[in-house]
Amino acid sequence: MLSEPKLKNLNELVRDLSKDEIIWMNGYLAGVSRLETNGVSIPQNGKHLVAETVAETIHVSNVTTIQPAAVVVKKMTLAFGTETNNSKKLATQFAAKAKQKGVAVKLTSLEQYKPTDIAKEENFFVVMSTQGEGEPPKAAKKFYDYIFNGVGDVSNLNYSVLALGDTSYPMYCKAGEDVDVRLDSIGAKRAIPMMKCDVDFASDANNWFEQVLSFVDKQSASVQPGSTLSQNGGSVLQNGYEAKPIQKTSHTKKNFEGVVSAHINLNDLGSSKETYHIEIACEEEIEYLPGDAIGVVPENNLWEVEKVLSFSAIPRNRKISFRGEEFEAEELFTKKISISFLPERIIQSYAKLVGQKIPSARMNLADLIRIYPFKGIVSFDEVIAILEPITPRLYSIASSPAAHSGQMHITLSRNKFLVNDDVKYGLCSDWLSHIHSEAPIKFYVHRNNNFKLPSHVDDVIMIGPGTGIAPFRSFLAERDATGAGGRNWLFFGEQHFLSDFLYQTELQSWKETGVLSNISLAWSRDQQEKIYVQHRMKENAAELWSWIESGACIYLCGAKEPMSVDVENTLLDIIITQGNRTETEAKELLDEMEMNGRYSKDVY
Amino acid sequence: MELSPSERIKIESRGLRGTLKESLADDLTGALREDDKILLKHHGMYEQDDRDRREERAEKKLERLYSFMIRLRIPGGLMTAQQWIALHNIAGEHSTGTIKITTRQTVQLHGIIKSHMKPTLKSFYLEGLDSIAACGDVNRNVMCSSHPKVSAVHEEVFRFADKISTLALPKTRAYYEIWLDQEKLADYNEEDPLYKDTYLPRKFKIAIAIPPHNDVDVLANDIGLIAIIENNKLLGFNVAVGGGLSTTHGNAATYARLGTVIGFVSGEEKILKTVYEIITIQRDYGNRSDRKQARLKYTLDKMGVDNFKIELFKRSGFMLEPERSYILEQRSDYYGWQQNHEGLWYYTVFVENGRIVDEGAHRVKTALFEIAKTGKSDFRFTGNQNVMVSDVKPAHKNEIHDLLEKYGVIWNTASSSPVRKNSMACVAFPTCPLALAEAQRYMPSFISKVEPLLEKYGMPRDEIVIRMTGCPNGCGRPYLAEIGLVGSNEGRYNLHIGGDRLGLRLNTKYKENLNESEILSEIDSMFSIFIQEKNGGETFGDFSNRKWIAHQS
Ligand code: SRM
Ligand SMILES: Cc1cc2nc3c(=O)[nH]c(=O)nc-3n(C[C@H](O)[C@H](O)[C@H](O)COP(=O)(O)OP(=O)(O)OC[C@H]3O[C@@H](n4cnc5c(N)ncnc54)[C@H](O)[C@@H]3O)c2cc1C
Ligand SMILES: Cc1cc2nc3c(=O)[nH]c(=O)nc-3n(C[C@H](O)[C@H](O)[C@H](O)COP(=O)(O)O)c2cc1C
Ligand code: SF4
Repeated sequence: MLSEPKLKNLNELVRDLSKDEIIWMNGYLAGVSRLETNGVSIPQNGKHLVAETVAETIHVSNVTTIQPAAVVVKKMTLAFGTETNNSKKLATQFAAKAKQKGVAVKLTSLEQYKPTDIAKEENFFVVMSTQGEGEPPKAAKKFYDYIFNGVGDVSNLNYSVLALGDTSYPMYCKAGEDVDVRLDSIGAKRAIPMMKCDVDFASDANNWFEQVLSFVDKQSASVQPGSTLSQNGGSVLQNGYEAKPIQKTSHTKKNFEGVVSAHINLNDLGSSKETYHIEIACEEEIEYLPGDAIGVVPENNLWEVEKVLSFSAIPRNRKISFRGEEFEAEELFTKKISISFLPERIIQSYAKLVGQKIPSARMNLADLIRIYPFKGIVSFDEVIAILEPITPRLYSIASSPAAHSGQMHITLSRNKFLVNDDVKYGLCSDWLSHIHSEAPIKFYVHRNNNFKLPSHVDDVIMIGPGTGIAPFRSFLAERDATGAGGRNWLFFGEQHFLSDFLYQTELQSWKETGVLSNISLAWSRDQQEKIYVQHRMKENAAELWSWIESGACIYLCGAKEPMSVDVENTLLDIIITQGNRTETEAKELLDEMEMNGRYSKDVY
Repeated sequence: MELSPSERIKIESRGLRGTLKESLADDLTGALREDDKILLKHHGMYEQDDRDRREERAEKKLERLYSFMIRLRIPGGLMTAQQWIALHNIAGEHSTGTIKITTRQTVQLHGIIKSHMKPTLKSFYLEGLDSIAACGDVNRNVMCSSHPKVSAVHEEVFRFADKISTLALPKTRAYYEIWLDQEKLADYNEEDPLYKDTYLPRKFKIAIAIPPHNDVDVLANDIGLIAIIENNKLLGFNVAVGGGLSTTHGNAATYARLGTVIGFVSGEEKILKTVYEIITIQRDYGNRSDRKQARLKYTLDKMGVDNFKIELFKRSGFMLEPERSYILEQRSDYYGWQQNHEGLWYYTVFVENGRIVDEGAHRVKTALFEIAKTGKSDFRFTGNQNVMVSDVKPAHKNEIHDLLEKYGVIWNTASSSPVRKNSMACVAFPTCPLALAEAQRYMPSFISKVEPLLEKYGMPRDEIVIRMTGCPNGCGRPYLAEIGLVGSNEGRYNLHIGGDRLGLRLNTKYKENLNESEILSEIDSMFSIFIQEKNGGETFGDFSNRKWIAHQS
């Protein structure tokens, strides 16, 4: 029946197979023939899927005998939407685990995922974080917008969301929650309830994925070998599936209070920047590692507070309750409620509340209630109810536990921008720029496990222009204090050598004592043409590559755009030219380094 | 005795190269390596930092605000209009913008940061200007009485400044390689018979005075040459050796000394030979272990003048002739328009403390730039920190005059009081690392407080010479003033009196460590006695010497 070449191939294939393998193949082929006869074609990427499935199963078959027919239905898509790679790492671990269990997994970033494919999915699991003030990570934005703008028929879709977030933020896991609710409302089947995870997400996340696995398992178990695989088998199964109530481990996040013990503008006369070195003294010993950040909730601009009080005609000492707590109006607007640059969702809720059409642009609360008064329409308490708490801001810790005991340092850039030609300042950075010495300050520690020093002997390449230098001051101080033997190479840049060389004297003494083996500096505005850190990297490409080849870890911190993009492209370039790789290979190498913790980014 | 550290640095420097190139390439700091700072001086530059900003920068975790001062080598202080344009532009592009005329007829630019050093020197080089040996343990800028009107042979004398400067230039090509990126010359012999590889034990200064003008303070120099002119013919020079002013507070072994005239020499060859061999004596006998005892004045006093003359004879092979008589009658500049024997015109601009910068209606910097752009004059610096718009043809005088008028220069030069026009102050804060007290930043306001005192005693036009320095090194030659103020501490000065008006007698320390009001009240009471007791046309310097100093010794 088979043509000559096909027969030859088959014989070759069968020749080296063990008995078990032949039995398995028998079952597999039977399964395929059933699919075909029912008019279901092997999925588009079936070739890949089959090959992978075979490989995985063969591996496992040494231990257990697997029912061949089950293999075909155990499949899922795992999509992640990440900003700082937590979601990606989790999803990647999950995918590996699932494959071990014989599940065919399509692992994809939401950035790369074609949203229209969702209608074709059967088992679709999302791991995603929340960023900004309750927004999806940038990488998930396209997907997010797509599902909110109507999708095709998703009634065959089984899904669940693992939402990463941080309880320090008022809009806890908001983006994940949005996706979960939306998919449900457009008719997809929630296979397992959404799991929200705080920053110590490991056990919650595993817990969730165990359930995902057992869901997929049950789904396939009920498809008996020989029975027909219905197209909506999943949803049939779901009826018989009992979702376990999701156990939430409780975690108390610790808030610390310290006092500002030093507050220094590091920029000298003639600079267009204001970068403050702020030291916070704490009585309590605080556990953190170089690479961690602190979270700070800023106070509102006092002028804005006065305007809100006056436009709302609320006495400053009136007691108002907000999210279950009671405050005097002045304190509430100074320290609790976000009143500046309100997100559009609040503007729209307010529009509904007062029954007016308000253009969906962000604005301050004072302007909102001045231009569109609520008086006589709704009570102030109703307005309060739609407002949100002030979001914390993160600042990389610039001190080292080993070198600066009892202190936390940060390197803060006063965020300055133009709005219609008016100079404006960011809320938190402006507040911290003006905070007095001796002022009390509350903060929490935001751990960043993706940005940690390697072992003592490893070499470290640090690329941190601007405030990106903060964690590297911590790294260097730590490596100095602990006598780490690995070499350290810092790339730093700013506008001007004379006025903007952050931590110059400290870096000089680290260079002198040998802690800093190399330092490459880029001053963008000290000459006609702009010179940035990536130019220095290029100039040092051969040496950089030799460091990378000999196992150095690369760290990148600072402005996301355009800096981190340019630097990453330069890194790729160096790998291509120095390492003789194709572009794809270079990307793979960098990806692999990222997964192994040898390339870490902390960009904002 | 152990050699001073500078000696090792010079010897190991491979022709003043050291690790200057590496220092320049180190972008982690705006400073140079320690040894290179010493070598740098021999290339005419000093590393400095803004002393006003030290503490604040330290708090900001920034190193000191390092920058470099460049001092040009301009023998006799003559510049062309084209060079002036370049100087003006370079000052604007690479330095603080202020052009500072020094007490030795040249200019300094301050605040040049490391990365601008090479571009600055390259730009100067294009206009035929350099800073080779403007500082360091070598012969410095050679001075020469500035005003061509003083003698018909001015030009002839003046050329000696250039000849001597060239004679005593180090032979190393380091300057060209380091600053101008020129290739090493393959068959160039760098061997330096004059400086060898140790250079001199200390700085060395030469000045030429053309009587009757002593604007160069000829006796304050290691070698002072006094032109002897008869019937408009240059006969030769009286040779004075061992002048030097610097002292150190608390170091009794240091002293100011006037040059000793040891004879007369004529004929170009002999003149140059004499100068050359005086330098070699200092090279071979000068103290190389204690830099505070290393100037020629100490070498001379240790040897004794007669032994010195014998040594000079051994080296030159001829005896000096007996000194000729001469008369020095004026030290201050001939302000305003003057004409020389050829009919060319000269306008001496009063530049307070040598700072060429536009201030209010007095836009001297712009004026000089505009004049330079006409190409119708040269520029000559004077030893009194002033500048002359020089060699103006009669046909161009009005045009130049109008420009001087337009930018307030005529007005400022004419209306400034004689005491102000005869005063000098050194740089001191914020750039001079050795300053103990303010000088040029403070002097103008101090003079404003002396003027009313002169007024009070009815002598507002008195040409009394007051000089101030921020420390006892004496850069503004305060020891040759009628009233010398030598910085001792922040806001405090030693008061010296008894110097003469012409720079031929040193003054003497009269009171120590006075603040402004103490100084002013001392001056007030001395003036009140002066006007009562002076003899006829006696100057304050002569009077105060007679009254308060001479009888002490
Ligand atoms: C610019 C000038 C004063 C001015 O306001 O015009 C000056 C400025 C300095 N002198 Fe001077 N000296 C200047 C004429 C003098 C004179 C007057 C003269 O030569 O007619 C003297 C006294 C005469 C003498 O040499 O005895 C003088 C005796 C010194 C000394 C003491 C030398 C000694 O024998 O001990 C020092 C310190 C040193 O060399 O160790 C010094 C050192 C300095 C330095 C370079 C400070 C340093 O060593 O770091 C000053 C730079 C300040 C700045 O920020 O610009 N300067 N210096 C004069 C430049 C002359 C030139 O163009 O070459
Ligand atoms: C992991 C991490 C580490 C970080 N580390 C550091 C660090 O070490 N040092 C550091 O300085 N920063 C660091 N940041 C950034 C920091 O957290 C803040 O984002 C930054 O200080 C700006 O906050 P802000 O409150 O001052 O500005 P915001 O008020 O939050 O404003 C942010 C932006 O919103 C826009 N905006 C705000 N108000 C208006 C308005 N009225 N009209 C128009 N546009 C407006 C502007 O574009 C403005 O730049 C880090 C961030 C992250 C995520
Ligand atoms: C700038 C910033 C803003 C954030 N905003 C929120 C938020 O509004 N709500 C929330 O639950 N978590 C917020 N987080 C916390 C992240 O969701 C959390 O750190 C998560 O682990 C990140 O996962 P990822 O690495 O996959 O992006 C924020 C984090 C950052 C850095
Ligand atoms: S006299 Fe002293 S303070 Fe003044 S410039 Fe000279 S070294 Fe500096």
